[in-house]
Amino acid sequence: MIGTVVTIFLTATVEWVEAFTILLAVALSIGWPRALAAGLAALATLAVLTSIGSIALGHIGNLRLLQFLVGFFLILFGMRWLGKAIARGGGLKKLHDETAEFESLMGRAEIHETRAAFMIAFNGVLLEGLEVWLIVVALGVQTQHTLAAGAAALVSLLVVLGAGFAIHRPLATVPENTIKFTVGCGILAFGTFWTLQALGYHWPLGDTALLALFGCNIAAGLGVMQLYKLQII
Amino acid sequence: MQGFIKTLFGDRRTFLIAAINIVIVFALMKTPAASLAGIILPLGVFCGAIYLAKH
Repeated sequence: MIGTVVTIFLTATVEWVEAFTILLAVALSIGWPRALAAGLAALATLAVLTSIGSIALGHIGNLRLLQFLVGFFLILFGMRWLGKAIARGGGLKKLHDETAEFESLMGRAEIHETRAAFMIAFNGVLLEGLEVWLIVVALGVQTQHTLAAGAAALVSLLVVLGAGFAIHRPLATVPENTIKFTVGCGILAFGTFWTLQALGYHWPLGDTALLALFGCNIAAGLGVMQLYKLQII
Repeated sequence: MQGFIKTLFGDRRTFLIAAINIVIVFALMKTPAASLAGIILPLGVFCGAIYLAKH
């Protein structure tokens, strides 16, 4: 359960940091009350989606099918995050820069128009939050700790909002790529572990295999990033 | 809606890489070499992530 909660907290932190940048840009343009209303509307939509997703997955009677579906979605998610983190860490892509993102948003003409800015904030928070939703539902349902999963995402939101309001700037110093790399390795480990278990595979080390998979992903990922940095591959 | 589908399934390449890996492992599980699945799937999806990083 601790692994699940930490994974969700870290995933949510990366997403909420990006959502806060959007919210801040919109707030400086149309004011905090409207920006917060857009953010709250998006969060309410996510809460409804989380309930629907949890209930729908909870109604799948076949536990192996449920485990397979969750594992498959986690593999898809983990590969994307790990791929992005390796590309950025290895110098193939520029690191995600919240300050640049903020300036780019402030440069958009439509952000100064109330309705368009409201939609930018709503869509931004919703899209960033969808990845949090996916992880909360998948890990929550599979580990039967949906409430703890939701709480981890909520605590992360409060931490990011608190830090954001305190410094009143984009949270550019959060080590997003390191978090993305670690979470990508963890999610990929969960995904492969559960997918194979659902297919009838018996892991030789039991649940300890999860830690071994996570460790192998970290070590191999760091190695590949180093090879990219040295331009060996 | 597009964002929702992309969040769930990723882009076409990500989906194909994951699906191919699972089909291979599914077939492997029916053979006497089933015990290798615990190496093949983690290795396959990790290589998939490296491919996505480069492309």
